[in-house]
Order: sequence, then structure tokens, then C-alpha cells
Amino acid sequence: MPHSTHSHSDNKPPLLPTWRAWYLLVLGALAAEIGVFVWLSRWFAT
Amino acid sequence: MSALDWLVLTGTLAFIIGYGTWRTRTAGSSLDGYLLGGRQTRWWGVGLSIIATQASAITFLSTPGQAFADGMRFIQFYFGLPVAMVLIAIVAVPIYHRLRVYTAYEYLQRRFDKRTRTLAAGLFLLQRGLSNGLSLYAPALVLSAILGWNTTVTVCLLGAAIIGYTVSGGTRAVTVTQQGQVAVIFSGMAIAGYLLVHYLPPQVGFADAMHVAGRMGKLNLVDFNFDWQNRYNFWTGMTGGLFLALSYFGTDQSQVQRYLSGQSITQSRLGLLMNGLIKVPMQFGILLIGVLLFVFYLFQPAPLTFNRPVYEKVMSNPALSAEARQLESQHTEVQAAQQEAATALVAARQGQDAQLQATAQQRLQTTQAAASGLRKSWEALVKRADPAADSKDTDYVFISFVLRYLPRGLVGLLVAVVLSAAMSSAAGGLNSLGSTTLIDLYRPFTRRQHCTEAHLVRVSRWATVGWGTLGVGFALFASRMENLIQAVNILGSLFYGTILGIFAVAFFQKHVHGRAVFWAAVVTQVATVLAFWLTDIAYLWYNILGCFAVMLLAELLQKLMPEPVEAMQESLAT
Repeated sequence: MPHSTHSHSDNKPPLLPTWRAWYLLVLGALAAEIGVFVWLSRWFAT
Repeated sequence: MSALDWLVLTGTLAFIIGYGTWRTRTAGSSLDGYLLGGRQTRWWGVGLSIIATQASAITFLSTPGQAFADGMRFIQFYFGLPVAMVLIAIVAVPIYHRLRVYTAYEYLQRRFDKRTRTLAAGLFLLQRGLSNGLSLYAPALVLSAILGWNTTVTVCLLGAAIIGYTVSGGTRAVTVTQQGQVAVIFSGMAIAGYLLVHYLPPQVGFADAMHVAGRMGKLNLVDFNFDWQNRYNFWTGMTGGLFLALSYFGTDQSQVQRYLSGQSITQSRLGLLMNGLIKVPMQFGILLIGVLLFVFYLFQPAPLTFNRPVYEKVMSNPALSAEARQLESQHTEVQAAQQEAATALVAARQGQDAQLQATAQQRLQTTQAAASGLRKSWEALVKRADPAADSKDTDYVFISFVLRYLPRGLVGLLVAVVLSAAMSSAAGGLNSLGSTTLIDLYRPFTRRQHCTEAHLVRVSRWATVGWGTLGVGFALFASRMENLIQAVNILGSLFYGTILGIFAVAFFQKHVHGRAVFWAAVVTQVATVLAFWLTDIAYLWYNILGCFAVMLLAELLQKLMPEPVEAMQESLAT
């Protein structure tokens, strides 16, 4: 069997406390971008 | 291009390639070093490499042109990408890393069997092997039309450079050169965007330009109305866009190899998440350049068509030139009315007069409708001159602006942007083709009992040379067959659903074994090709349909023909 490279450092990501926080950051950024795009579409259309 | 432009262009490309080759000159001393850069790439290197591999020359030639003509709604196609990055970071990255595979398809043998792995690798090689050459052909075609370069010479020079550094330093060379290429791409596009705003008339600021674009319907960024006929809305982005991104980033070796070269699961995950954070704003920036070009050409004279060779072809046709000149003179009149209406709209906005704004907007829309009518007449004229000619000119809008308005030196930099993008995506593809040929076709089937690492690196190098030469040959051949290009692009999209389905079964349907998934994939692939011929389903949906078809069929076949015990044992032992 191939040996594992999984280490404790992979469980704890840098900068943010958990990987879940990182995933929420990416998805939150997407939501914020879509919000800004909706605002831009409406603001500049009138 | 001036001598200074040539100096900037050749200097930039030579520095990036020379530095990348020199930095990675010892990368071929081990298989791990050659195929995955010794698995030493940090998160930002992984992220930049992923971005560079995806961004082809067409991204920087076509996308601004698309926004120029159609507004920014194309951005919605990328909404599924960050979601895909999160899913791949959670599901695929830990599995690939723990198994220490070189290719995504290697995992399929460990999970299923050799033939499923070979099937997926074969579909990838066929699709990527053909399409990689086209990523060289497309920019060569545009640059030859605009700058008068010889297409054959451009394709051969680009191809030779890419083959040279990819063969020399493998994945590490691709990664290092991509870092320089991304730096050139980002700085070039930022400068072009700044100068576009700078070149607007003195009374027109950035906010004014955005208002004019918004009132002309160009800032159509989000549309929540679902419509099967409309390819770009929020829902197609979150479904079709998501599945396309899952296929491309999760199962296409040209991308998987980028994050397999990461130092650890953490570094690979962060690289993917970096792409998830950057991609949508990056596409927004490129599309915004197209919208600013639209506003710019409301105030500046635009040609009847940006595709100069097609223009000359029509004008040199004695039967059509009189009609073409008449169209051109009408176009000049419409342009003058357009400029007047746009200036009035900006003045009304600055004076905050709602009534005047509405009137000016109405006038501008009328002139736009007239311009659109003239464009249609022109396209009909082009088809009469040469039915095979490309009557659309959107791919030429941005590069025409660069050549006509940017100062000396910067033209060279922007052409370097286009060529850097072409090289970065083609090198990523070529590198993955060489690796997959070695790992998934040569190594499992070779009769040699003990292959040294030096031998395997040599085989991978020759495979890279072979694929590179085939790609260049295909690009030269494609120049004579426009339909072939379309066929190759469609072929790729027809394979992605099946490959994603195989991986989805591997990840999520743990009780399904090799035989069931193999036949499910074969049946789905045949059905997909038949559906393409016999129905008019847009090929964006084949990704989703193909993926779910493999998953359902595999489940069904698993119940109908359970795996023989010895096959299961063999699968578990590998």
C-alpha cells in the first residue's frame, strides 16, 4: 500500500481556525460578488 | 509593431522561458521531480499554475469582444467554479494526495480496475491531445490577421518553445514559467484597462462610462430568470458551470497535475481555493475591459468591422465593393449620431436631469439599433463574398484597440500577454499528456520488468515531444478545416460527463465495482454521442446528464452483475 502523507498540519489550515472556515470564506466571497453584481446591474441601469 | 514593441515582446518571452528552463534544469533527475516538481510547490504556485493553465489566449482575445457585443452576462458561467473548488478540495485532494498518484486516472485502477483507468485516460488523451494544438492555432490566426504574421511560422515557433521547456524541466518548468506568464498577463491587462479609461473624452469619467454602459444593457451581470434557450443565467452557471468546473478541475489531468504537485494536502487545497477566490473577479475585470471598449467606441470612430482581412476581401470584390462603401458611409453617419447621443447622455447625467437622460438614452438606443442593422447587412455581404469567411469580428476588437491606441512598447507587452496565455495553457496540457501517456499507458502495459526512473523520465520526454509535434501538426491542419475545430471542441464536451461520472462513482458509490462502472461509462459515452447527433440538447447539459447517467447505470449494473470475488480481491490488492 502507498504510504500516507497525511499530517496533523493538514488538519489545521493556516490563517483560519478550520478548513470549514476557509470553505465558507470562498463561498461567502462568491455570494458577496453576486450581491455586488446585482447591485451594479441595477444601479447603473437607471 | 515598432522595434521597441519587438524588443519588449521577445525580451519578455525569452526571459520567462530562459529563466524557467534554467531554474528547473535538474528537474529530470527523478520521476517525482519531473512529473510533479518533486511535490514541492507552495499554495500560491499551485494557484497561479491552475489559473495560467485555464487562461488561454482566447480568454484575452475573445472575452473582451464578447462583453463588447453582448455585455457581461458571460460572468455567470463562472459562478459554479468556486463551489467546484470547495468540493474538489474536500473530496478529491485528500484521496489523490494520500495515494501519492501521478495522475487522476491512476486512482481509478486502485478503486476499480485497469480497463476503467485506461478508458478514462484514453478519453482524456484523445480530447486533450487534439484540443491542445488548437490553443496555439486560435491566437496565431488572430495575430496573423491583425499583424500580418505567418500562421505556420507563429504556430511552429510557439510550439517549439513550449515543447522545449516542457521537455526540459517537466512540471516544474511549466509551473515556474506560468508564474512569469501570469505576472505579464495581469500587469498587461491592468495597464490596458487603465489606459482605456484614460483615453475616454475629458468630460467622461469612469462612473459616467459605467452609467452609459448600464443604460445600454451591457452591465447585465446577473439574470435570475431561468430559460433553456439562454445559455448564460444564474441557474446555468450554478448547474452547467458547476459540473463543467468539477469535470475540468477534478478529473482533467492538465489541472489535476497542477495541484498534485503541491507540497501537502494543505498547499494543494489552498491553491484550489485561491483559484476559487480569484477567478470570478478576474473574469469580471476582463469583461469590464470589453464594456469599457464599447463605451470608448461610442466616442471614437470604430471601423465597420475589426476583422481587417475580411474587410479587404469584400472591398476587393468588384461585385460587392459599391454596396460595401455605401454601408461604410451609413456606418459613419450612425457613428456621428451615436457620439452625439452618448455625449448628451453623459451631460444629462452630470446635470442630474432625468428627463434629458431618458431622451438621450432613447436616442442612443435608436442609433445602436441602426448600428446593429448595419452590422447584419455587413455580415450578409461577407457571406456573399466568401461563405466560409468568419463574419463576426469580436475576437479582433481588443487587439485592434491595442495596436491602434496603445503607445510603443505597450503594444509589445500586450501581444506578449496573448502569447503568454497561449503558452501557459498549452504547456500545462502538453505536460499532462506526456505524464498520462507514461503513467497510464506505457507503465501498466510495458513488458520491461524493471524500469529505472531515468528510463521512465526519458519515455515521458519522448511522449511530450510526440504530443507537442502532433499538436503543432494538428494546428496547421486545422487552419484548412474550420469545421474540424468545432468538432474537436464539441468532442471534448461530450467526454467530460462520462469521465466525471466515473470519478463520482469512485468517490461516492463505494459498493460499485469496476465491471459495472466500466460498462456504465461505455454505454453512457455511446448514448451521449447518439444524443448529440439525434437531438438538439445544448452540449453544456451533456456534462450533467452524462455524469448522472454513469452513476445510475453503474448502480443498476452493480445489482444485475455483481463483481466476481477474484476481481474484487484483485481490486483491493492493488
